[in-house]
Amino acid sequence: MARVNNWQLGREMSYWYPESRPQKQFAAVFDTNKCIACQTCTLACKTTWTSGKGQEYMLWNNVETKPYGFYPLAWDLNLLEMLDGQQWSEKDGKHVYDGSTIFESAPAGERVLGWRPASEDYAYPNVGEDDCAGGVDGGASMEVPHQMAWFYYLARICNHCTYPACLASCPRGSIYKRPEDGIVLVDQGRCRGYQECVRGCPYKKVFFNPMTSTSEKCIACYPKIEDGLQPQCFANCIGKIRMAGFLNTPEKAQADNPLDYLVHIKKVALPLFPQFGLEPNVYYIPPIHVPTAFTKQMFGPGVDKAVEVYRNAPNDADLTSLLGLFGSTESIMRKWKRNGDLVMGMDENGKELVRVPFREPVHIRPAYDKLYQITRTNCP
Amino acid sequence: MRFLTLAIILSLVFLISCRRTQVPTAEVNVAQVKEITLDPNAAVWDDVSLHISKMILQDLVEPRLMEPSTPEVQVKAITNGTEIAFRLEWIDETQNDLPGPKTFIDGCAVQLPAKVETNVPAPQMGEVGKTVEISYWRADWQAIVEGRTDSITSIYPNASIDHYPSEAKPLEKDPQAQGETALRYAPARALGNRRSGPRDQPVEDLIAEGPSTLSSAPNAVSKGKGVKTAKGWAVVISRPVPSGFSASTPSQIAFAVWEGSHTEVGARKMRTGWVILMMK
Repeated sequence: MARVNNWQLGREMSYWYPESRPQKQFAAVFDTNKCIACQTCTLACKTTWTSGKGQEYMLWNNVETKPYGFYPLAWDLNLLEMLDGQQWSEKDGKHVYDGSTIFESAPAGERVLGWRPASEDYAYPNVGEDDCAGGVDGGASMEVPHQMAWFYYLARICNHCTYPACLASCPRGSIYKRPEDGIVLVDQGRCRGYQECVRGCPYKKVFFNPMTSTSEKCIACYPKIEDGLQPQCFANCIGKIRMAGFLNTPEKAQADNPLDYLVHIKKVALPLFPQFGLEPNVYYIPPIHVPTAFTKQMFGPGVDKAVEVYRNAPNDADLTSLLGLFGSTESIMRKWKRNGDLVMGMDENGKELVRVPFREPVHIRPAYDKLYQITRTNCP
Repeated sequence: MRFLTLAIILSLVFLISCRRTQVPTAEVNVAQVKEITLDPNAAVWDDVSLHISKMILQDLVEPRLMEPSTPEVQVKAITNGTEIAFRLEWIDETQNDLPGPKTFIDGCAVQLPAKVETNVPAPQMGEVGKTVEISYWRADWQAIVEGRTDSITSIYPNASIDHYPSEAKPLEKDPQAQGETALRYAPARALGNRRSGPRDQPVEDLIAEGPSTLSSAPNAVSKGKGVKTAKGWAVVISRPVPSGFSASTPSQIAFAVWEGSHTEVGARKMRTGWVILMMK
């Protein structure tokens, strides 16, 4: 194994191949606070890519309700149990992962620590939908403060990891990471369906096709990326929770790169299970109403800071404006700029792609209309 | 008359027991026959000498097989001068021929050096510059060849499918358009990955120059047939006689077996080292 730098862990780690970062890295930010689990993203992906024989059960994009939603069943719990509790520490304000990654925990004879879902684990794609973390007593929803019964929606695609476990697991080298944009693909001409990648991917975002006996996965809609467009699940998100782009490493962060700003500068968007060690490239703004004991396990030790920054967004015009750019255009915004109450998204050459107001005008209407001499009642 | 009947029965029992106690040979001896058969139950195999290869774990490269399964494979070989056929038989209580997540397929393979020469390639799938040729039989391909349809309901009988774009109403009378649409959702088939398509043979021709280098052979020349026996599998794999292999020039052969129920796939397999292959 080689030693590579994983900035999400704050340390070096062992990986099957030497560090080789792409020229630019496809990445995304999902705002969990805005997702309503309408599954439009799921269907956009499904109809575009996985409507063939053998792909029936595949959901390259899915939305699950946490804490009791999983696709496949217990995809995260199984691995967390295998890792058996790990710790982060903090030194000089920097978080360092003291535990073992799935590469460092690989048993003898294996390339990574992993497990294989069976057919039945894929049989309940929306299990746990809208299930609360705790019981809700009759009438409790009318009481303030509310009981601590929470859930939230977690939209998931392939994380197009910097250190993909699927790629490390494939003994044939049939999986590759594109040097031009960091998108991770299964070479469908070379794959022999050993399912090692299915076993190795902790996010379970590689799927075995029983009709072709090869494995398939999210391709980040790379034909659209090559045309400067965001993937289908982004463009069709009616909740406007997603933004796709390219992310630099922390030391090269650019404030005018929307993803760099959210991930590195504001630190409001966090990786999914960074402790697994893959340096995943889909970042989540954590749900602000969920006990952080849960979200810290899922998004790492930066949760407190991220929630604080997000809660302060009404007082932070830059952050608010950038969040307003989510879902404003199908084009990939490589740069952004706020100008007063307007925010602009631009391509890599600075050409404006979209311009939107980020604060809607507020009109206060008096209850009594003097002109028409009537009283109007606002309905809640 | 009674004595005669008894004598015949006793003679038959003696002959059968003689066959059962066939003494295995240290090498694989290839018997000359007039016609090659793909039938593992054909009578021609009864008179062919038996070789028993002890199997070892593939525990050299990750992912490794850590627990042994199939202990040995029984091998017989025949040739008609142009084709050579191998009959492999091993014990396997389960029949694993349905692909799916976390399900793996029973299979076996024979491996020969691409060139018959004294300095043989490494038995673990050859080495750089020393290619090996592999003929690989799989139980699911056997089922497909024998009529299992190219449909998800042949794997999951209770599956219910709303719609495939390739079966949309406007395409009903246009098989070409149906095929093209189906290929859009089957990238491995669209790319010509031989691993992925409908098959007319249960055997695949492969070449390798070491672990991780397995790839399709330029030509598909192997044939075969496998049948489930009471205790396991009996499989015949035939292919052209290796160039340079003759009665005066022996070659080498190696075998591999995958036990699907033991999560064996790809590198996770039981294998043998090289065994001498002799033309008789």
